[in-house]
Amino acid sequence: MDRKVVVPGDLLSEDAKRSGEGTYIKDGSVYSLLYGLANYRDKINVIPLAGKYVPAPGDNVIGVVKDITFSNWIVDMNSPYDGLLHISEFPKRIESDEMTKHLRIGSSIMTQVKDVDPTMKVELTLNDRKLGLIKTGRVIEISHTRVPRLIGKGGSMISMLKKEVNCNIFVGQNGRIWISGGADDTDLALKTIALIDKEAHTNGLTDRIVDFLKTEKGARS
Amino acid sequence: MITMDKTDISFFKDGLRLDGRRADELRPVKIEVGILERADGSCYIEMGGNKVIAAVYGPREVHPRHLQDVTRAIVRYRYNMASFSVEERKRPGPDRRSYELSKVSREALEPVILTSFFPRSVIDVFVEVLQADAGTRTAGINAAAVALADAGIPMKSMISSCAAGKVADTIVLDPMKEEDNFGQADLPIAMTPNGNITLMQMDGGLSPAEFHEAVEMAMRGAKDIYELQRKALVDKYSQLAGEPEKVEVHACD
Amino acid sequence: MTNVISEIKKDFIYNLLIKGERVDGRTFDQYREISIERNVIQKAEGSALVKLGSSQVLVGVKMQPGEPFADSPNRGVIITNAELVPLASPNFEPGPPNEVGIELARVVDRGVRESKALDLEALCIVPGKQVWIVFIDVHILDDCGNILDAASLGAIAALLCTKVPASRFGLGEDYILPIRDIPIATTAIEFSDVLMFDPSVDEEAIANTKLTVITTASGNICGMQKSGTGMLKPEQAYRIIDIACEKAREIREKFLEA
Repeated sequence: MDRKVVVPGDLLSEDAKRSGEGTYIKDGSVYSLLYGLANYRDKINVIPLAGKYVPAPGDNVIGVVKDITFSNWIVDMNSPYDGLLHISEFPKRIESDEMTKHLRIGSSIMTQVKDVDPTMKVELTLNDRKLGLIKTGRVIEISHTRVPRLIGKGGSMISMLKKEVNCNIFVGQNGRIWISGGADDTDLALKTIALIDKEAHTNGLTDRIVDFLKTEKGARS
Repeated sequence: MITMDKTDISFFKDGLRLDGRRADELRPVKIEVGILERADGSCYIEMGGNKVIAAVYGPREVHPRHLQDVTRAIVRYRYNMASFSVEERKRPGPDRRSYELSKVSREALEPVILTSFFPRSVIDVFVEVLQADAGTRTAGINAAAVALADAGIPMKSMISSCAAGKVADTIVLDPMKEEDNFGQADLPIAMTPNGNITLMQMDGGLSPAEFHEAVEMAMRGAKDIYELQRKALVDKYSQLAGEPEKVEVHACD
Repeated sequence: MTNVISEIKKDFIYNLLIKGERVDGRTFDQYREISIERNVIQKAEGSALVKLGSSQVLVGVKMQPGEPFADSPNRGVIITNAELVPLASPNFEPGPPNEVGIELARVVDRGVRESKALDLEALCIVPGKQVWIVFIDVHILDDCGNILDAASLGAIAALLCTKVPASRFGLGEDYILPIRDIPIATTAIEFSDVLMFDPSVDEEAIANTKLTVITTASGNICGMQKSGTGMLKPEQAYRIIDIACEKAREIREKFLEA
């Protein structure tokens, strides 16, 4: 069998080389660190059901400004760690007293993690065209553990979804997703994402999503 | 109030205890996973008449900031009893007993939690005793371990907790209320499934040989509880998946 | 430790509200699903677990004989307390009840006391010396919005199944605590001139004004509490009261069946 529900401490393999994500090695054997689904490939990875998002450099995230200091916006990322967006990482040159004019407490931003240091100090940036303030559309939240499934191998699932529902979609690694499009299109996108969220761990999901979209769009026209 | 003298009770009748159990039998256990929405992880447990809820929040930001540890997550455990959980209504709020229980319970779980994964954060464990019936601390730890797993906290293994006691010169497993109040010794333990002890307390009087017997018995009880914790977690996943999973019980070495 | 609610979320809720719609699809006066389980804590004299949507509140009633208050020597005593324990919400901190918890307890108490649901004179054991003390302890388990209504429901549900533990104290046989009324609290929030009953967590977070109305079985008002930093017009209060009476009646009927 290639998938199995495991709990922390479950023995996964006696071959230490097969240790993947969510596992640890002790005395040459591989054990699960998490409660979740163990995926048996070359390496054994354990995908958790729950858990907090831990920022990593290069991650796209959607954050909410929660505080402003002299030179930083403090950004909530639905993580144990807040992000720091330094004034120099804003795409325009602005002064410290103009900060709140551009991004204020409660503003949502599509941003990217620039750096994370060993004490988990997280630096964010807005210096990219696809990043910036969210003004319209919807932002929803799913568990960050589902994001890889939503994106799919090489981005296959998310590109298919964007095309089929004709919406702009920005997926944050922290589980926050921005959708912008027509009302019906947005609704369809939301329903589809909810379905992927619910069935992320099952087999044959991609085909089921393709069918789902076909049916829903057929029903509309 | 009617007072009981230990000599009034005969703890055994025809080899069975006051509640009909054999000396080495656990009280009935019921475990429900993920019963709270706000908490990151949660578990409701019944052990005999004990009704206990555990919830985990975290890792999350530490408040106040000065408690932060730059290298790892700190773990906090708060054991609390509801006013209506005991026969004589208890004044709300912590007392010396709950501070002590909170400390040893935290120390029972912390050894297996990978705190180094989350510097500068806190993992909060909250245990509320809704009804008490001897053995609330062990029930709390059992629920807390499941809640930690439910919250996705990385752990080297689960932790299971059980107590043994001595009544009428006999070592018994999982003492009930009268056995706890009028017995001769009480020994709660917590351990990993492969027998590493993370909590051990004793009060009363035991000879070294009796202590041996009691520890062995408590450890067997804890192992049985581990199987129940594991089953509850696995069944819950299968429920979410919608497919009945064939459960293969794997002891971790 | 309150989280900042994003503007985009506020806007979304607001845009629905002004159309008379809510995020979870309810109508403005619709309550979430209610379930009440009684006698869940056998050690307590009475108890009830109330689920209101995903909110969960457990109320336990304990009774013991004690001294009456000096100014009411022949009447029993009601003591209501609420514990907003940290496991119920990321916003609850450990420690003694703060102003929010104390307010909740006092409003629940008001409903029980002012409705005269309990005949306090009947709780007198020895005039001037011994009366029954009734402890109503509210334990919040999961705050998904409107825990006040859930707590108030829990209190009366627990009282309705309470058995006076007379035998434990040598005061005769146990008997069912007589209850003379069923007070029901109904809470609405006001936001941009829109009223919403049984607010969810997000709706509570954006609203400035909340009004709780407690009504009795005969449709009279026995308690009220406006909370929050916003303002209410009298017409809004009258509207809330009208709907509150109707909602309370519906809930009371469902109750008596339950």
